[in-house]
Amino acid sequence: MNNILVVENLKKKFQISGGLFEKKEFVNAVMDVSFHIKEGETFSLVGESGCGKSTTGRLITRLVDVTEGKIVVNGKDVAQAKNSELTHLRESVQMIFQDPYASLNPRMKVKDLIAEPLVIHTKLSKEERDKLVYEMLEIVGLNAEHANRYAHEFSGGQRQRIGIARALITKPKLIIADEPVSALDVSIQSQILNLLKKLQKEFNLSYLFISHDLSVVEYISHRVGVMYLGTIVEQGDKEAIFKNPLHPYTKALLSSVPIADPTMRKEKMVLKGDIPNPKNPPSGCTFHTRCPLATDICKQQIPKMKQINDKQQVACHLVNEN
Amino acid sequence: MSQTVLEINQLETSFTRDKQKIKILRGVNFSVNKGEVVGLVGESGSGKSLTSLSIMQLFHDTTGKIDKGTIKFNDQELTKMTESQMRKLRGKQISMIFQEPMTSLNPVLKIGRQLMESIRLHLNYDKEQSRKHAIEMLKKVGIGRAEELMDEYPHQLSGGMRQRVMIAMAMSCNPSLLIADEPTTALDVTIQAQILELMKGLKQDHETAILLITHDLGVVAEMCDRVVVMYAGEVVEEADVFELFANPKHPYTSGLIRSVPKIGENKEELDSIKGQVPSPSNMPTGCKFAPRCEKAMAICNEAAPPMLNINQNSKCSCWLYEKKDVTVHNE
Repeated sequence: MNNILVVENLKKKFQISGGLFEKKEFVNAVMDVSFHIKEGETFSLVGESGCGKSTTGRLITRLVDVTEGKIVVNGKDVAQAKNSELTHLRESVQMIFQDPYASLNPRMKVKDLIAEPLVIHTKLSKEERDKLVYEMLEIVGLNAEHANRYAHEFSGGQRQRIGIARALITKPKLIIADEPVSALDVSIQSQILNLLKKLQKEFNLSYLFISHDLSVVEYISHRVGVMYLGTIVEQGDKEAIFKNPLHPYTKALLSSVPIADPTMRKEKMVLKGDIPNPKNPPSGCTFHTRCPLATDICKQQIPKMKQINDKQQVACHLVNEN
Repeated sequence: MSQTVLEINQLETSFTRDKQKIKILRGVNFSVNKGEVVGLVGESGSGKSLTSLSIMQLFHDTTGKIDKGTIKFNDQELTKMTESQMRKLRGKQISMIFQEPMTSLNPVLKIGRQLMESIRLHLNYDKEQSRKHAIEMLKKVGIGRAEELMDEYPHQLSGGMRQRVMIAMAMSCNPSLLIADEPTTALDVTIQAQILELMKGLKQDHETAILLITHDLGVVAEMCDRVVVMYAGEVVEEADVFELFANPKHPYTSGLIRSVPKIGENKEELDSIKGQVPSPSNMPTGCKFAPRCEKAMAICNEAAPPMLNINQNSKCSCWLYEKKDVTVHNE
C-alpha cells in the first residue's frame, strides 16, 4: 500500500514573548516528529494536553507554518508550500474539528456550509454543487430537509455530521480529525465513530486521528503514536501497543484509563507529578522527571527512536531490541 | 443497615423562561449512605448537575426553583431551610467540588486565604490555628510544598494542583457529604488517576459519603459502590455497581454501557443509541426514553413507568419489568 502521508523530523517553535525590548522566548511545541500513514489506514496520535498532537495536525494542513522538517503528501513535500500549492493541498487533506459549535458559521445554511469547499476548489455550477451536497447529506446520515436549516438548529452529534460532510465533499484522501468526538455524549460518540469507520471503507480514506481518549483510539486505529512533550515516544501497531506497551509512559497512560467494568478494578501505575511546562522541558528524556525507572543516562541524553520488534518503535534508553 | 446521610424524595426543580415554567427534574428519588460513593450518571441535559445544585440550593441569580419534594440530610429538611441556615451548612457539612477548578477559585486571592476562609467561618479557629489547619489539609491531599503554596495564586498552579486545592478546601471542615460534579473531566488521564486515588483515600480515612456526578462510565466502574442513572430529569435505574455493569436492566443503561469502547475488546462496530436526548420543553408523554428505545411497546408511549424493585440490588423504571416474574436479562 502507498503512503498517503510521510512526516519526517517535523519541528515547530512558537514564539511566546519578545516585544520590541523583550527577550525572545520560544516554546518547542513539536520536536522531531516522524511517522507515516498508508492508504485506507487510521493512524492516531494520542497524548495528554500540551503534548503537541493538535499542533502536528495543524502543521500537516498547514494552518500553522512549519519550522523545520518534511511533510510529504501524495509524494510531494508541502512543508513550505505557498499560495496555490496550499489551496491544492487542502483539497486532498481536510480537517474535522473538535467543537462542532465553534467550527460552523452560524449565519450560513447547512447546504452552503457543505458546498463552501466546492466553491473554493472546483468550478462546478450551483446545480452540480447542490446535487453533491444532497448526496453527501445522505452519506453522513442526514437528509435533504436538513439542507436549508442553520447550524444552531442541530444537536452536537448532527453538527459533527455536518462537519464531516464538509470535510468529505472535495473527495480528500486524508482527513485530519482533531478530537472529533470528545465534545459528544457517549451514545452519540459511538454513532460518529461508527460513521467514520464506515466512510473510511467506502471511500478508502486515511485518517490522522488525534485524541486523548485511549479507548476511542483503540477502537478506531490501525497504528498509534504516543506523544509526550512534543515527541513521539512510542509508535507502532495498535494491537502491539495496547497489549504490550514498552515505553514507561505508554504503560502508565494505559494503566491510568478507568475501565468501564467494576470487575476489572486494579492497582494503577499512578505517575507522580505534573506534565512539565513545555517552555522549560527537562533535559535528556523529557519523561525522566516522572518516570519510575529513570537512570542517570535518561537525564543527560535524548533517547533515539529504535525499532524494537517488527511492530513497535520506542524512544527509551531502557528498552532494547532482543 | 448503614446510616443514611442524604435522602431525596420526589424532587422537582424547574426554571422559568419567558414566564413559562420548564420542568427539568421530574421526581428524582435516591439516597446516599455514610461512607458510600454513589455515582450519578447520565448524558448532558439529564439533570444530574441540577440535582446537585438543588441539594446545595445554589440558584443564585437564576430562575431555578424547587417546586416539590424533600431533601433530607442527616435528619434536617433542606428544602425548608432559609438561606442563612443553608450558608452554615455549605462547606461545613456538605461541600462540593466542581469540574473546572479555575472558575471556582478566586483568581485575585492567595490560595491560603481562600482555604482559611471556610475554616475560620465554620470552625471558629483563630488566624494561626486556621493557617495550621489549612497547611495540614494541603499536605493531606498530597501537596508537598504546602507552606509555599499558601502564598501563591490559583493561576500559578496546574489543573491537577488546583483540583487538589479544591478538594483540600472541600474536606477542611470534615463534611459528612461531598458532592463531586465531574471532578476529573477537565484533567488528563494520568492526573485523573492521581485525583481518583486521592478521593478513595480520603473517603476511607473520613468515612465521607460521596455523590460523584459524571458522564464517564469508566470513572463510575472504578469509584462507585452504587449507581443512579438519570435520563431526561428522572432516575431510570438504581443499582449496585457490579449488578449495573453485569446486568443493566433499563434499555438506556444497557445502551449506554454498550456504547463505550473498552480497551481490549476489539469490536468491529460499536453499539449506539439512536436519536438524541429530548429537549426539556418538548418531552414525550409516557416513558421519556421510548422514542429511542428498541424495546418500546404500546404502553411506553402512553404512560410513564413506575419505579420497580427488581431485586435486592436494583431498581428500574421500565414497563418491560412490570408484572413479569422478574428474571435477569442479559444483553
